[in-house]
Amino acid sequence: MAGFRIIELAAPFLPIMPEIELPYDKLPFDDKVVYTILIGLFYIFSQLPIAGINTNGITSNAIEGDPLYYLRGIFAMGPSKTILEFGLFPIVSSTLILQLLAGMKLIKVNFKNSQDRQLFQSLTKIVSVFLYIILTNIFIATGYFGANLSLLSILLINFQIVSMGIFTILLVEIIDKSYGFGSGIMCITVMNTATNFVDNVFGVASINVDTVVGGNYTESRGAFINLTQNLRSSRFSLIGGIVSAFTRDYLPNLTHVSIVALIFFIVCYWQNYNMEVTIRSTRTRNINNVYPIRMLYTGGLSIYFSFILIALINISIYVFLNITHLSNKYYVLENNTLLIPKFPFNLLTPPKAFYPDLFTKQILTLLILPIFIIITSCWFSLQWMNISGASPKDIALQFKEQSITIAGKREQAIKQELNNKIRPAAIAGGLVLGGIVSLGELLGLKGDAAGIVVAVTSGFALLELVTIEYQQSGGKSALTQILGAPGGKY
Amino acid sequence: MAKSTSSASAGNNNTNVEKIVSGEAPLEFVKEGVSFISKCKKPNQKEYMKIIRAVGIGFVGIGIIGYAIKLIHIPIRYLIV
Repeated sequence: MAGFRIIELAAPFLPIMPEIELPYDKLPFDDKVVYTILIGLFYIFSQLPIAGINTNGITSNAIEGDPLYYLRGIFAMGPSKTILEFGLFPIVSSTLILQLLAGMKLIKVNFKNSQDRQLFQSLTKIVSVFLYIILTNIFIATGYFGANLSLLSILLINFQIVSMGIFTILLVEIIDKSYGFGSGIMCITVMNTATNFVDNVFGVASINVDTVVGGNYTESRGAFINLTQNLRSSRFSLIGGIVSAFTRDYLPNLTHVSIVALIFFIVCYWQNYNMEVTIRSTRTRNINNVYPIRMLYTGGLSIYFSFILIALINISIYVFLNITHLSNKYYVLENNTLLIPKFPFNLLTPPKAFYPDLFTKQILTLLILPIFIIITSCWFSLQWMNISGASPKDIALQFKEQSITIAGKREQAIKQELNNKIRPAAIAGGLVLGGIVSLGELLGLKGDAAGIVVAVTSGFALLELVTIEYQQSGGKSALTQILGAPGGKY
Repeated sequence: MAKSTSSASAGNNNTNVEKIVSGEAPLEFVKEGVSFISKCKKPNQKEYMKIIRAVGIGFVGIGIIGYAIKLIHIPIRYLIV
């Protein structure tokens, strides 16, 4: 096994794996904007229902309930039983975990060698495809797509989910290979979270709620639209209508939406926390400048990591309980849609609501979930700080190339000094983001807290890239001339 | 102390574990983060409003585009199912 490396596993798949070609030339600003917006194509497909599900004569919870409800927001999964069932989860987890392993030298990759880079990239894609296949089949086995499926339906379901998965992988790759801004995962997450937010506030789709509240009623999905409807409807009194709009738990309510908005504002505020390090040029005297070190140094990736772990653990529990036929005993179906685990298995499940669910059914979650999220996100931040392209070592090298030094430090001490400054930043970022996400989840946001945190941090990164690109392209953009924007958003 | 600040790598595992068990490391760890936060430069109100406006408009704008695409889908879903 001396010369064997894990990335070699990808080699046989190289010829059959579809790949996006790098653009021949640097794309103009307008094209990039169009490509980035077209990521919305994703939505056209994410809503299509899966064909081949057998819903007849089922009594178990498995077919009706959705055990992944708290992961749908953050991993851009479509609604339950649609062809984008697993969303970006396989892609995000394979990318993040493989990069982490490579960074920790558990997988040996020489990123300076272009063949190695290509192998690693293909390995990531192949692992994502395999994850799609594995997830689909274990969910088929648990009866999520219906009992007594014929071989044809099993193949059909596999085909739909996996081909959609490959399509999504390629869609992400288009953006990654500099046709768009930033990374594809980032763009899709921002778009998905923004859409969900608009949907939760102003969504006009009316949904039949008779199974939940009794009687023959429909309510709008959007919390704000629902409030205005309640005020006019004869079903509620004035006060009752307002209270219902704030407290209904089967669809987004106003409390939910306002907590999400509050987290948005807080993370926007934190995003601009930075520590300024005074730097000066070694060539010219008396010119001091500042180099900002952000508090959210690793951004929302740490939250992604925590949720990947939570997802893996909870999916394993789900599969284990189904294989041992305990799922009817340990899962309860709430509101006809959410499949919620019972006591020993719900420690890492974000509760459905702050009150009464958190206190009556899963009080231990109050302790375990925050500890888990904060520890994993801090650990990840610390690891990522050394792996990512902005590690202290890289920045020190950059400084050296541009003949910059930190004021009052010798050139040799730069790396150490940067490490001393960046390490606390990574810890602080992991702490505050982990803290706010766990607080939000405990308040019953069902995964939206994590979604909004990741979306805001990615959104800022995107905005930064767009601004830089815009300034470089100058006034050549036809789009901005039409829209009449004088100088970017800043 | 010097060890814990110098590197976060998985090196000196034993000492780290001892520290974590004794409760010394996590506290130190949190302290490091908190002291960083207190030393940070915070945005003032004017800057903050500007940022919120830019990001908020962008966010809601993208959301409306996404929702428009999603809306097209409601009739399609009815046709299929």
